[in-house]
Amino acid sequence: MSQSSSPDAAASPAAIVQRGSFELTLRRFAADKAGMLALGFIVLLVAFALGAGLIETWTGHSPVDQFRDTGLTPTGLPVGPGAEFLFGTDQLGRDVLVRLAYGARTSLVIGLVASLCASCIGITIGLIAGYVGGWTDVILGRAMDLVMSIPVLLCTLALVSVFGPSIMLSVAVIVFFSWTTIGRVIRGQVLSLREREFVQASRSLGAGPLSIMVVDILPNLTVPIIVYTTMMIPAGIVFEATLSFLGLGIVPPAPSWGGMLAEAAANSIYLVAWWLILIPGSVLLFTTLAFNILGDALRDALDPASRRRSRHNKSKGRQRKRGKEGRS
Amino acid sequence: MKQGLVAASIALASVVVTYSGTSSAEEPQKGGTLRILGNAEVDRFDTVPPATADVTNFHRATVRQLISFAASIDAAEQVKPAGDLAEAVPVPTDNGLTYTFKLRQGADWNAPGGARQITSEDLERGFKRMCNPAIASPHITYFEDLVVGLSEYCAGFAKVEPKVEAMKAYVEGNDISGIETPSPDTVVFKLKHAANDFLYMLSLPTAAPAPIEVLAYLPDSPEYRSNFIASGPYTVESYVPDSLLKLSRNPSWKPESDPLRKAYVDEIELVSGMQADAAMQQVEAGDADMLYDLLVPPATAQRLVAAGDEKTVAIATGRSRFVWMNTVSGNNGGALKNLKIRQALSYAMDKAAIVQQLGGPAFAKPLNGIFPLGVVGNHDFDLYPTTDAKGDPEKAKALLAEAGYPDGLKLKMPFRNSGSDPALAQTIQASLKKAGFDVELTPVPPADFYSRLITNFENAQNGVWDIVAAGWTPDWPGGAARSIFQPQYTYNGTHGTFNFSDFNSQRANAIADKASVTTDPDEAAKLWGEVDEAVMADAPTVPLVSVNTIVYHGEAVQNFLPYAAGGQGDWTNVWLSR
Repeated sequence: MSQSSSPDAAASPAAIVQRGSFELTLRRFAADKAGMLALGFIVLLVAFALGAGLIETWTGHSPVDQFRDTGLTPTGLPVGPGAEFLFGTDQLGRDVLVRLAYGARTSLVIGLVASLCASCIGITIGLIAGYVGGWTDVILGRAMDLVMSIPVLLCTLALVSVFGPSIMLSVAVIVFFSWTTIGRVIRGQVLSLREREFVQASRSLGAGPLSIMVVDILPNLTVPIIVYTTMMIPAGIVFEATLSFLGLGIVPPAPSWGGMLAEAAANSIYLVAWWLILIPGSVLLFTTLAFNILGDALRDALDPASRRRSRHNKSKGRQRKRGKEGRS
Repeated sequence: MKQGLVAASIALASVVVTYSGTSSAEEPQKGGTLRILGNAEVDRFDTVPPATADVTNFHRATVRQLISFAASIDAAEQVKPAGDLAEAVPVPTDNGLTYTFKLRQGADWNAPGGARQITSEDLERGFKRMCNPAIASPHITYFEDLVVGLSEYCAGFAKVEPKVEAMKAYVEGNDISGIETPSPDTVVFKLKHAANDFLYMLSLPTAAPAPIEVLAYLPDSPEYRSNFIASGPYTVESYVPDSLLKLSRNPSWKPESDPLRKAYVDEIELVSGMQADAAMQQVEAGDADMLYDLLVPPATAQRLVAAGDEKTVAIATGRSRFVWMNTVSGNNGGALKNLKIRQALSYAMDKAAIVQQLGGPAFAKPLNGIFPLGVVGNHDFDLYPTTDAKGDPEKAKALLAEAGYPDGLKLKMPFRNSGSDPALAQTIQASLKKAGFDVELTPVPPADFYSRLITNFENAQNGVWDIVAAGWTPDWPGGAARSIFQPQYTYNGTHGTFNFSDFNSQRANAIADKASVTTDPDEAAKLWGEVDEAVMADAPTVPLVSVNTIVYHGEAVQNFLPYAAGGQGDWTNVWLSR
C-alpha cells in the first residue's frame, strides 16, 4: 500500500498522500542522521563479524595462531600495525584484526542472545504481574526488587569461582541481572492498558486472560519492547567485556573484546603497544554508542509522541522556572 | 653514558646480560642520599621473622651476618659464601659435623652505651630467638633439622608464655647444646648430620646475631623498632609507618671491619606506597635511584633491554618455572602415569617460545633439569633434546602413538590468572597442540591457585588438573639444591605440600643423601647434577626456564652490583654521581 502511494505523490504534487504507520516510522527514522549513522555502523559491524572467516582466509591467520617469528620481536614484544598484520599483533603474536572480528562475533552473539532472553523473561513477568495484579503482582514485584538489589559483580565472581567461566554462564548472568528493567516498564504499561476499553470489550466478548494478554495487550507494547531490547544489547556487550576483562568471561585463547583489553593491561604491555588498547577499546566504545543512539532513534521514530512530550515538558519546565524567578 | 662493559657481557649466555653503571675512570664518591621506591614497606626490622628477599636488602645494610655474599656482577661470586662476621669461611671438621667460626674483631653493635664488640654469645642468642613463642622464624625447621639440641630447645621454648619477661628468662636460662661458645670470639656449631648447605643457611637474616638488649622487647614490636640496634653500616634514623624509612650512618660501624660493604652513600630513604609504573617513571627520570619490592613492569623491561639501556641488570635468583604432570589421577585412563606420555610432553614443549614470551634471553633461559641457574647442581644437560629448544612435535606424536594414543590426548590445565601466567599458559597450549595434545585452559583467581587448587592433594587425585605451570624460588641463594629437591621431589609416605603428585625416586634420593653430606663443594655440585638427571629420567615435570629478575637503577647510581640474597643491587656498595 505504501509503495503504490509514492508514484502518485510524484505525479501530482497537490495530491494528499496517505502513508501507513510503518512508512511514517521509516521516514522519521531516515530523517534522524545520528540514528542512520549508528545503523550504518552496526550493519558494518555485523558484516565484519559474519566475515570473520573470510578475513581469516584472506590474512591466512587463525585467531589463535601464534606467529612467533613474524608477529613478535625476538624479545617477545608485539608488532605494530603494518602490511602483514593490519592492526598489529598481541602479546602472543596473534593477529589483532582477526581476533577483533571473531571477538565481534562473541560480543554480538552474547549481546543479542542475552538481551532477547532477558526481554522475553521481562515481558512475561511484567505482563503477568501487571495484568493479574494482587498477590501475584506483589510477589513478582518484590522478586524484581530483589534481583535489582543484588551486587552484580560480587555475585558473578562467586558464581564463576564455583562453576568456572564459560560463555553459557556469562549469558546466564547477563540475562539474570538485566530482565528486571524491562519487566518493570512492561508491568507499568500493562497496569494502565488493562483498564482500557478494548480490553473490557474483549473480556465482555468472552476472551480469557491469556488471550487478552497476548492478543490485545502485547501488540500495544511493541514500542517499549523494541526500544528497551535494543538498549539492552550494548549493556550486555559491555557486561561481557567486563567479565572477560576480569578473567571471568570467555576462556582464552577464544577471542573477546574484554579479554583483549585485559591482556593489553596485563604486564603493562599497553605501554609499548598502544594498538592493543586503542583498537579493541574504540570498537567497543563505538559499538555501545551506536546501539544506544539506535535505541534512541527507534524510540523517536516509533513513538513520536514521546519526543514531543519530552520537548513539551522541557519547555513547560523552563517556563515554570522562569515564572518562579519572576515572582520572587 | 660512559664506557660500559656491555660489549663483553652480551656474549655471556648465563646471568648478567647487560651491565654498566660503573666506570673505572671515575673514583667512587662518598655521600648523598639513595632514594629507593617500594610498594610495601620494610615489613620486619627484626631479623627473626622475615621471609621475603626484599627485606634482606634492609638487613644487608643494617645487620652483620656470620656468612654473607659479596655484591658482584660475577654469577659465581654472587652465590659464593663469604665471611662477614666470620673471619674466614671454615672447612667443617668431624666428617662435616662441626663448624668452627672465628669472629672478626672490630665488628661492633651500635649499643645504647656506645660501640660494643659482637660476640659468640650474641650469635647463639640469635639462634635462640629463632623459635621464640611470639613470632617464630619461617626457616626454623631447616635449622631444627640440623643443629644438635635446637629442636629440644625449641620444644621447651614453645611452652613458655609469649611475654617479654618469661621469654627473657628462658633465653638466659637455657642453652642450645649444639652451639658452643668457648670464647667470645669463637662459636662452634655441631650438626646432627653433615649438610653442606649449612653455610648458605647462615646467610639468612634469621641466623643473624642478637644483642642482649633486644630481650627487653617483644620481637619486632614497636619498642624493638624504636630501639633498633644496628651492626651494619646503616641504622634506622626515622620511620613513618607505610610511608618513609630513613637510614643514616651507624657511628659504631668501622669500614676496616667489613670486607663486604663499602657504604658510600650517607643516607638511604625508602619510600613506600608506590605503584610499579609510577615508580619506574621516577627512576627513569632520575628522581629516584632504585626500586625496593617493585619489579620493573615486564613490557618496560623488555623495551629497556631491547633499547640496550645500560642501567638494566639481570640477576639469577634461582627462580624456575616448570610444568607439573599429574600422575595420581585416573584421567584419560591414567595416561600421565605412563612415562612415554610424560616424555612426549617433554619433547613437545617449545621452550624457546616461552623464553621469547618472557622477554627473550635476557629474562629467561631454557631449563632442562630441576635446578635452575644460580643453584648448585645446575649444569648443561638435556634428556629430551630438541633443535634450538623449540620442541619436537613429531617425536612427541610418535611417543604418544607408541603409548597407545595415536589421536592425541585431552589435558586439563588450570592457570593462575595474573601477571604473565595467562600468556604463558596459552604459549604452552599452542606448543603442545602441535604434538596432538588438546589443552583445555581454565583461569583460576591468583589467591586460589596454590592454596586451594594445586596444593590440595584431593584435586590431583580427583583429576581436577592434568598439568599445571608452577614456579619455585629457593629460600637461599647458591647451595639451595636440597631446598628444591626435598620439598618437591621426595615422598616418604606422607604427602608433601609441594610434591604435587607424590613423586619419589629411590635412585635420586640415594645420590641426594651423598650430595648433602660431602664436604667438597665440587663433588656436591657434581652429585646434585646426577640427582637432577635421575629425576628427569622419570620426567615428573617439564622444566621450562630459569628466570632472571631484571632490576633497574637511576642515572646517578654507580657501582650497581647485584646482591644475590636480596635480588637487587647492593645498597651498601653503590655510590651516587649527581
